[in-house]
Amino acid sequence: MTCTTSRHGKRFAIHYQLDFIYQKALKMASTFTVLYFASAHTYTGKSEDTVPGPMAISKLFPYLEEKYPGFRKKVLSSCALSVNLNYVDLIEDAEKEIQNGDEVGIIPPVSSG
Amino acid sequence: MASVTEYPPEPTRAFTGIKSIEDTATNTFVGLTYDKLDINASIDRVRSPKAGAIVVFVGTTRDNFEGKPITTLEYTTYPPLSLLTLSTIAKSLKTDNSHYLHSLSIIHRLGIVPISEDSIVITLSTSHRAEGWKIAEQCLEMVKDKVEIWKREWFVEGGVWRANRDGRQGVLEEEEEDDDDGEGEGGGVPVEYLEQEDR
Repeated sequence: MTCTTSRHGKRFAIHYQLDFIYQKALKMASTFTVLYFASAHTYTGKSEDTVPGPMAISKLFPYLEEKYPGFRKKVLSSCALSVNLNYVDLIEDAEKEIQNGDEVGIIPPVSSG
Repeated sequence: MASVTEYPPEPTRAFTGIKSIEDTATNTFVGLTYDKLDINASIDRVRSPKAGAIVVFVGTTRDNFEGKPITTLEYTTYPPLSLLTLSTIAKSLKTDNSHYLHSLSIIHRLGIVPISEDSIVITLSTSHRAEGWKIAEQCLEMVKDKVEIWKREWFVEGGVWRANRDGRQGVLEEEEEDDDDGEGEGGGVPVEYLEQEDR
């Protein structure tokens, strides 16, 4: 796609790149990202999803359960949640909103060492 | 049943080399890498003229889980979060033991770690050996308890995600409603026994 042999080609390539950034920014403005690790990654078969926001924390697990039936019982029930690298409390922070552009991590029980 | 020779595909590497956080104020260093761990480098990193001891802990990958043969192991992580957690642990240990702990380094390996190779190296230098042993033990327990790294053990039948301690993190929302159901039902399915499809 990056044809740079002519001025026209170069301009096209830049235009294409700008469009890509614009589309990405547009997506970020209306969605947040959910990252899946370990068992959550295996269950969904994905490393991430983009979810339309904003959304109350209490609505996320039901939303994901609808997308991946059985996910809640088998995986999410033992997971913690991070928003922009900070843990949130699923009960105390239930009504807090996940904002568009946020990065949400589904954190299964850890097993390092 | 899958054949014994079947190995999981090498997972995608999130980065190359070593990703680390070095804190010069507390002389602590934490890192993640997909490469073989360099124990000597970890020892040299914590050398101090004030120290009378360097304690080294090396975690290696075992070939069985309660007698069941494991063919290979794999570690995955959430790099920015696990580095933050590792760094918080290292700094808090330094703060709690500031008079005699001089330097501390924790490196964890990621990706496929073949059996009997090193998955974690903790090195620390202390004024005297007694406190060194104690802090090293404490450090490992904190890492195993908190750091967002996950181990998958591959058996002949496929992979299983292990949990160091079940159900510590998160809240079993469904369990609250299911209180009278007794065990078995509800959200309390231990992740460690959750059979995973071989992807």
